Amino acid sequence: MSVADPGKVWRKFKSGGGASPDITVGIAASVTAEPIESYLGAYLLGRGFKHPRLTFGPFNQLPQVCRNHVQAFGDTPDAIVLLWRTEDLFADLLAEPDKALAAVNDLGDALSILRRNFSGTIIVSAPPYPTVPDFDVRQIDQTFMGAALSSRIRDLWMSRVASIERVRMIDLQALQTQAGIDASFDPRKWYLYRQPWTEPFWDSVGTQIGRLVAAERLSAKKCIVLDADNTLWGGIIGEDGIEGIALGNEFPGSAYRDFQKYLLHLQRRGVLLAVASKNNPADFYDVMDRHDAMVLRREHFAALEIHWDSKIESIRRVAKDLNIGLDSIVFVDDSPKEIGEVQERLPDVTCVLVPEETAELPYCLAGTDYFDLPEITEEDKRRTEMIRADRSRKELHETMSEEEFKAALGLEMTLFRVDKQHLARITQLVNKTNQFNLTTIRRSADEIEALMRSPNHMVLGMELRDKYGDYGLVGVSILERAKENCVIDTMLMSCRVLGRDAETAFIAQVAKVAGGWKCKTIEGRYVPTAKNAMVKDLYPAHGFEKAANDGVWVARPENITKSPPHAKVKVVL
Amino acid sequence: MSDPLIQLFSEVLGVSAEKLSDVSSPDNTSQWDSLAAMHLVAAIESKYSIRLSTKEIMKMSSIGTARKVLLDKNISL
Repeated sequence: MSVADPGKVWRKFKSGGGASPDITVGIAASVTAEPIESYLGAYLLGRGFKHPRLTFGPFNQLPQVCRNHVQAFGDTPDAIVLLWRTEDLFADLLAEPDKALAAVNDLGDALSILRRNFSGTIIVSAPPYPTVPDFDVRQIDQTFMGAALSSRIRDLWMSRVASIERVRMIDLQALQTQAGIDASFDPRKWYLYRQPWTEPFWDSVGTQIGRLVAAERLSAKKCIVLDADNTLWGGIIGEDGIEGIALGNEFPGSAYRDFQKYLLHLQRRGVLLAVASKNNPADFYDVMDRHDAMVLRREHFAALEIHWDSKIESIRRVAKDLNIGLDSIVFVDDSPKEIGEVQERLPDVTCVLVPEETAELPYCLAGTDYFDLPEITEEDKRRTEMIRADRSRKELHETMSEEEFKAALGLEMTLFRVDKQHLARITQLVNKTNQFNLTTIRRSADEIEALMRSPNHMVLGMELRDKYGDYGLVGVSILERAKENCVIDTMLMSCRVLGRDAETAFIAQVAKVAGGWKCKTIEGRYVPTAKNAMVKDLYPAHGFEKAANDGVWVARPENITKSPPHAKVKVVL
Repeated sequence: MSDPLIQLFSEVLGVSAEKLSDVSSPDNTSQWDSLAAMHLVAAIESKYSIRLSTKEIMKMSSIGTARKVLLDKNISL
């Protein structure tokens, strides 16, 4: 999803001049990489960064850049991007392949050094297929070893990168395959400027890097709300009947079936699916439960809005029901009228019109950045299942009093010191939790990892389960020891576990940990945002008293409200 | 509005249009360095939907010579 006229957008931004950057990206390459600037810059602007700054390291000196990144970029950027091509590494690849492989190993060694010295985001390329004439893929000579050598170099590099922690990959060969060598390589620019690629290819490289940078810092969309008729299947169930709709092995039914397969793929990666369809429920569920070719069934959906109310109303209900913001919803419909109305009334919702060409339907979400996540956690994969468990809890809740309900749930909480295996989920919670979040301090994985190692900090995770299942890792607290005072730097919890007194157990156990640090006071802060009003009285409600500074609350560990009797707690430090 | 070609050079070089004319070249315009030359070619090709040969690109040593190359390709300026 590249930006329209990125050159203009970026020049206009740059002429606006110098506020301090909110994201800095340093780029070094084995080729002249400056053409990427407007594409990457405009992409980052389009994703909501206000002042991206891009700096370029020296030409074709990647090992040196890795060994001294501060000198290469003038300062320490938030992200460092390293792009290289095999043919720039070593001149005569086919004659002396071992030297090329040795050069790859050198670069791998240098990359390990960069990882040790630089805690920010590192993005490296997998090299594209060489575009030197002796590597032409059309030659018929069976002794031609170019393709095999290119694969060997690539495999070696991939295994070196995989052995270094937290290095992100941009696969230039995959992008080259998408575009084609003729559409991506521009020999004129190579000979004139030492830059080998066409503008459209730079666009795709810049966009891809932008996505990698943004995915670590911004929220992805959480839910797709789908129309049914002419979106999940062809035709209109109310008119065509279950026999008449298009869904199955023959086109156009096969395109709808494949779109459903892709949606299932997204669902397994943690994207929630919902339907908003104006239909008679009986007709709709007839297809959902009984049509042979349906890929998606009830258990794959987190919400179903099947009635004659407006789509706007349905989308609002889905957001409320799933407790997500309208800005995390993607709405897919074949009706320009419905799309137009949603765009107008719910501008935060991302709208996708079903393509006019049905053959393109299965691909309409695949190239987008909507669901970009740097990593998929266990919690992501089980999200729909957990939401369905929540429904069962709600049903239980309706049959009994508040106290009976809490006791019946059989809540078990574990508070533990997190380690590297939890980093992805902790980072996700720190950057995504809006409502039950006392300070809303956002941090990158690297920053959190640094706090995990710090002797004066403790990063605590909270896991919760009950008789309906495992909520997984749903709470994070970061404590900072300042002599005899323990500051609760971060205190947050997923909204899915509210209303079970989990927060009381959480604070009580955090207080215990602080007590173990021999701190005499615990200091909590509430920093108001547009979304976190629900926790403004959390500290006073748990035994904290107002301190001199606004928004600061202090308690002695012994005065903090004890864990509720119905919750079993365990602390592992 | 001023001359569209001057306008394009002005945007890409970040130099006000009043300071540019057909005699402007890398020798008298400090912003026109080798990177800017690369960006200029990309901007010209994109704006006029053309593909310049290396010979044509190398002829473009000033705004005036660039204008001549484009006029020779029947671009109306």
